[in-house]
Amino acid sequence: MSQPELTVRVMAPDALARVIGDAPHETFSVTDSNRRALAKRLGAVATDRHRRIDAWLVERGGRPATPFTWSPTAARRILGNGALRRVANSRAAALREAVRDEVDDRLSRAATGRERAGSLGAWLANRHPAELALVQAGAVDWAGTLADVASTVAADWAVASADAYYDVERARTTLRARRDLVIGHGDVVVRLRGGVPRPSAGPGLRADLAAATFADPEGRAPRRYIGVWPDAGVILSVDGTDANVRAGARDLVRAAIVLSCPGDRLAA
Amino acid sequence: MTLTTSTPSGSILEVLRGERTERPPRDTEAATGLRAILEDGLAEARGRFTYSAPLVITVSNVVRRADAIDIARAPIGRLRGALVAQLVRLIAVGHHSDDAFDDALAAWLVDQPSRELCSALDDLDADARARLATEVSAHAATLTRALAPVPATWSVRTALRSRLPLAGGSVVLSDVVDLVIGSSTESTASTVLVDVTTSPIGTSTARLLRFHALVHTLRTSVAPWRVALFSTATGELASDDVDVTVLGAAVDDVLAVARR
Repeated sequence: MSQPELTVRVMAPDALARVIGDAPHETFSVTDSNRRALAKRLGAVATDRHRRIDAWLVERGGRPATPFTWSPTAARRILGNGALRRVANSRAAALREAVRDEVDDRLSRAATGRERAGSLGAWLANRHPAELALVQAGAVDWAGTLADVASTVAADWAVASADAYYDVERARTTLRARRDLVIGHGDVVVRLRGGVPRPSAGPGLRADLAAATFADPEGRAPRRYIGVWPDAGVILSVDGTDANVRAGARDLVRAAIVLSCPGDRLAA
Repeated sequence: MTLTTSTPSGSILEVLRGERTERPPRDTEAATGLRAILEDGLAEARGRFTYSAPLVITVSNVVRRADAIDIARAPIGRLRGALVAQLVRLIAVGHHSDDAFDDALAAWLVDQPSRELCSALDDLDADARARLATEVSAHAATLTRALAPVPATWSVRTALRSRLPLAGGSVVLSDVVDLVIGSSTESTASTVLVDVTTSPIGTSTARLLRFHALVHTLRTSVAPWRVALFSTATGELASDDVDVTVLGAAVDDVLAVARR
C-alpha cells in the first residue's frame, strides 16, 4: 500500500488547471467490507446524540468548535456558491445581483414561514439593512474568488449543489465532505478555503476525500481532492489512493473518539 | 506615484480603472523572480523565527508613519478607520446609507470585531461618541462622493486579506486591501487595489502602495495594474502604476524589515 501524500503548489494562473490535468486516472474504491469496518469502528465509539464528523473537526483534532452562530463569514459560502451557480446557469447577469437574489429568496421564505428557526434565512430576516449589506459584501467576495478559481479550470465545472453526506450505519454518525466546485462528473473536487493552511490541512483534505468516497453510491474515490487557499496563494491536493482514503477514514474515527471523551479534548 | 490633491469629479474608480485599451498585458512572470529574491533574502530569518512564532510583516512595519500614525493608532482613530472600512464594503454592494454612522456601526458589530476595539467604543462618553459619529459621517460623505455608485457588473472585492508564508513559514507577509477591482484572470493587467485611509496622505505612501502591490502579486502570481490610496480626510488620491521597478522596491522594503 502506498503512503499518504500531499501535493503543494503556489497559486498561478495555470496552476489549478495543471493540478486537475495531471490527476491520476486510477482511483481506489471502498467495498462493502470497508463500509462495515468503518461502521464497526464508529459504532464502537459511544455517543449520546447523533454526531456529524467532517474535515473541520479533524483539523481541530476532534475538539468541537464553539456553538455555531450565523455571521457574515458563516453565511458567505452558502450565499456565494448559490450566487455563482445562478450566474453559471444564466439566471443572473452579475454576481452582485445574484447574491442579492439569494438573500431575497431566503428573506421571502422567512416572511412566509418556510424557514425554520436557526436557519440562515431566519437569521437574515432579523438583520439591520446595513448588516444585510455586509453579508452580501462577504458573499460577493466569496463568489468572485470562486469564479476566478473556476475561470482557470480548462475542464467542465459546476458549483457543487450540496456537500456530500454519508450516514454510517448503526453508528449515529454522519460524515460530511465539503465541496465547492466539481470538475467533470465529480471525479475531481475543489474546496475554497479562507486563511492559511495549517499543518492539519492535509489530514483535513484526506478526511474530505474519505467522506466523499464513502458517500459515493459506488464507493469510488474522487481522482483528486483539491484545497485552494487564495489568501495564502497556495493549492494543496490529495489523490484518491487507498492510502489517502484509509488515512482519512482513520482520522475521522480518531476525531469521533476525541469528541466522545470530553476529558481528553484539551489534551488532543 | 501620482498624487491628485482634489477629488476628481465622478468616481475615482472610473479614473483608476481607465480605458481597457490603455492597459498593458498582464505580468505573470515577475512573481516567480520576486519570490526567489525574497526567499534568498529571508533565508537567515529561518534561524531567528519559526513556523509557530513567525515574523509577521504588515504594511505598518514597512511604512514609517511619522506622519499621522499617532492619531491613527489612538482608539478613536482606529474606531474611525474600522467604521469607514465597513462603509467601503457597503458602498461596494450598492448600499445607500441615510445614517452612515449607524450603518457603519451595525455592519462593524455583526462582523465580530476585536474585543479591544469594542471596549474602546464602550468606554467613549456621550461627547466622544457624538464626535466619532460626526467624524464618520464627514468621512462617509467624501467616500460616497468618490466611490459611488459602483457598477453591479464590475468584479469587486472588499477587505481582501492576504497571509503569505515565506521562508518555510518563518516569515509571513500579512495585508488587507479595502477594495479590489478587476480580476487577475483577464488577459490584460486589470486589477486595481484601492486602500482607504482616514488620515491625510503621508510621505511614506509610495512604500505602502508598493507593499500592497507586492503582496497581491505573490498571492495571485499576477501583478496588479494599479494601486491607490484614497484619503477620506482630504479627498486626495495617490496612485501608482505597478511595474517590476515598483515591485523590486517593495521586496527591498520587506527585506529591510526582516533584517532590523
